[in-house]
Amino acid sequence: MLPAGCSRRLLAELRDALDACAERQRQLERSLRVSRRLLRVWEPAETPALEPTPGPDTNEEARPPARTPSPQELKELELLTQALEKAVRVRKGLSKAGGRDEAPSRKSRSIVSPATTASVPPRASGQAGRRASETKPPRGVRQTTVPAKGLPELRLLSVGDQTCKARGAQAAKPEPGLRDQEMAPSAAPQAPEAFTLKQKGLWAQLSSTETGDSMDATTTAKTQFLRKMQSGWPSSRLCAAEVEAEVGRLRKACSLLRQRMGEELTADPVDWMQEYHCLLTLEGLQAIAGQCLHRLQELRAAVMEHQLAPWPEGRLPSAPSSCGGGADSIWSPQLLLYSSTQELQTLASLRLRVAMLDEQIHLEKVLMAELLPLVSTQEPLGPPWLALCRAVHSLLCEGAFRLARRAGRDCRAGLAERGAGGSLRGTEALPAVQGGEGLRTRRGHPPGRGSACFVPLPNSSIFPAGLESPRGIIGAQ
Amino acid sequence: MWPQVGRRGPSREAQKAPALWRLLFHVLSPRPADDAAALPTPEAQARLVKSALRSQGYPRRALVQLPEDGSQGSRELLLALSWLLARGPLLERLLAQIRVRLGDEMPVCECEVLASPGPPAPRVEADGCVDIRHLQWLMGKLRFGWRNLITSQQEHCALLGKVHSYTRGCHSDRSLGHLSVTEAELLRDPEGGRQLLRRLESENARLEAALEWRRRELVFWQWMDTVLDACPPEASQPTFLPRIPERGAGELELVARELQALQEELQAVVETRRAAWEARVGGWGPGWKATQRASEEAVRQELTALQRAWERGGGLAQPHGPHRLVRSEAGTLGGPGLRATEVIKALRSREACLEAALRQLQGQCRQELARLVGALPGFIWILPPGC
Repeated sequence: MLPAGCSRRLLAELRDALDACAERQRQLERSLRVSRRLLRVWEPAETPALEPTPGPDTNEEARPPARTPSPQELKELELLTQALEKAVRVRKGLSKAGGRDEAPSRKSRSIVSPATTASVPPRASGQAGRRASETKPPRGVRQTTVPAKGLPELRLLSVGDQTCKARGAQAAKPEPGLRDQEMAPSAAPQAPEAFTLKQKGLWAQLSSTETGDSMDATTTAKTQFLRKMQSGWPSSRLCAAEVEAEVGRLRKACSLLRQRMGEELTADPVDWMQEYHCLLTLEGLQAIAGQCLHRLQELRAAVMEHQLAPWPEGRLPSAPSSCGGGADSIWSPQLLLYSSTQELQTLASLRLRVAMLDEQIHLEKVLMAELLPLVSTQEPLGPPWLALCRAVHSLLCEGAFRLARRAGRDCRAGLAERGAGGSLRGTEALPAVQGGEGLRTRRGHPPGRGSACFVPLPNSSIFPAGLESPRGIIGAQ
Repeated sequence: MWPQVGRRGPSREAQKAPALWRLLFHVLSPRPADDAAALPTPEAQARLVKSALRSQGYPRRALVQLPEDGSQGSRELLLALSWLLARGPLLERLLAQIRVRLGDEMPVCECEVLASPGPPAPRVEADGCVDIRHLQWLMGKLRFGWRNLITSQQEHCALLGKVHSYTRGCHSDRSLGHLSVTEAELLRDPEGGRQLLRRLESENARLEAALEWRRRELVFWQWMDTVLDACPPEASQPTFLPRIPERGAGELELVARELQALQEELQAVVETRRAAWEARVGGWGPGWKATQRASEEAVRQELTALQRAWERGGGLAQPHGPHRLVRSEAGTLGGPGLRATEVIKALRSREACLEAALRQLQGQCRQELARLVGALPGFIWILPPGC
């Protein structure tokens, strides 16, 4: 058993990490639900693959009576294809909209399914275009050619007309059976366009007011006010938030310095010039590290000095950092361009990897700081100490958790998975030293011995009797 | 509950204290999740506000002495609010935080994550001792959670990719080219569309209120000056500062230790290299001096640039914040925007660096453990294969 203070701190750390992970998962689930629902509309044939959690979603589906459930949609698909083909024939004749064609043409707009022929979607948009052209003076949309890629491209009307675009957006919507709700949505897509345009104007105005002449007067008034507020307060620097922020900056500094040091050490100087450059850089890094350390010691002294505070404790999380992305971005969102799903997935998984590694490193440091002293101070060599050593080893030295998805990973990934398997085993009731056969990792490597083991020599007087019998010690699994 | 900061404007009546407490609470805490049930009681909110203001260095002691039931103190609370407004771009930050986002956004930095998530409810922690196996279990659970997260994220990206490619050509904004999930939802589901419209409407109202505020801001500050003057002067107080919470102090120690280790490493490396260099260069002539100075200057510039990366305000050189995802075939959209390939490259190098750091830490632990255990007679330390 671990001492109380240590337990408390470590538990707090791990629980924080678990909470953060759970929070991310919740947000992700929320977005997933929305996206799955959306795609189910467009890809009814693939519903089983997309729907692992039918429970919460069925409630949302029950709402509008006009929406058809997926099995029915599957049946309608057949009708749809026929209707579309007929509509194409009719359309080719370029006739004015006949009443007879209204129903199938509406249906034809209902589902855009790439699962069927590639020709279906362009026809659908052709229908949409025709439909829109009925309501307005005909605009140039003629979608007779199948797009070369065969992807369902829903083309818009011509660029020029704003309102026409809005209508086009309406026309292109591929939702099922909103027959009785036709008119209501017609206003809806138009309005967001107008709103976002207005918004852009407002944001631009707002950011322009920040740098006006009148702002100077305001700024001076503000600084004067702050000064007055501060008047009864001698030391304005060292509030807790400031210290925390500075410590964070220094931590970042440390990692950047270390990264740079690694680069310099691995660089291979070609000539003496580069060698000298390298030497100077390292010396410079050393000097900066010294400065940072000095600053940190100053902070530490300041913190120690002012430990007394009759202040209510509260864990209000620190205000979010100034990560707004800069002034410009508040009114025009920055774009991130990607070219394929693979790229997007790589990007997202790398982001998560980096965050995970960050957290792992942090936990590693915390665990090291707490557990290693325990091992060294607890000298009695009884079974509890052995168990402690074993557990500490598995917590600290193993479990380089890796994403086994990348192609061409060598057995290291499998190896690392074994480490993960070792700690995953911990999710069972006890990290039983036997019975490692339960978990197979993705690569099919059998999970190896996740724990270090001790083999006391037979003639050792410290051979632990009873509890840790040889099966526990040898750890052959 | 979005405090309508912009709408309040330079009102001249004294606001009621409870409303101000609530306002300050929402301003100071990061945006809570959608569950309104997680809000603490008004007294707890008041306590948290006091603590947060204190930790940011609020200079007036009168705030501490305010009763937490909201019966008085509206003037002091107004002063506190003005202090926050004066210190930083509070309004812009809040507006940006609750902005209606129409696109599929992905943050390219991890800044937001560092602020602790969830409601600030203090957890009732058992003061007892735990078995280390419980810690192992929690660790395994965490790893499992991360694994799930990655899988879910992959699925999400696949779905996003599909939505983006299916709706290519639908967006009226040509630079975007396709709909986001929100926009596609808007078209699919009229009820959701109406809700979105309402949110956009309220955001426009907020923006207009903010502009209104901007117009009258000077008057507000002049008025606050008079309010401050009208306050009774504070007695000179002893300089006590809030205790840095335990976690913060621990962080400080960790960083100190790291920096110490780094400095020692650097020292060792530098000493050997400098000695070797001096031995080689000893006999060189004065012409060497000029090139030496040039090198020194170059290194100094490089290192200054490096320092700027962590100095205050220097982090803006790197991309920050959420970005809207836009799918475009490679090379077609030459317009402004971050390219995924660049971000991937940066992330990969960061990943490599972090992996190296983690490996090094683990190696350190292994050595330490081996040392501790190896000192004992009669034991053999058998490591799992590959370790």
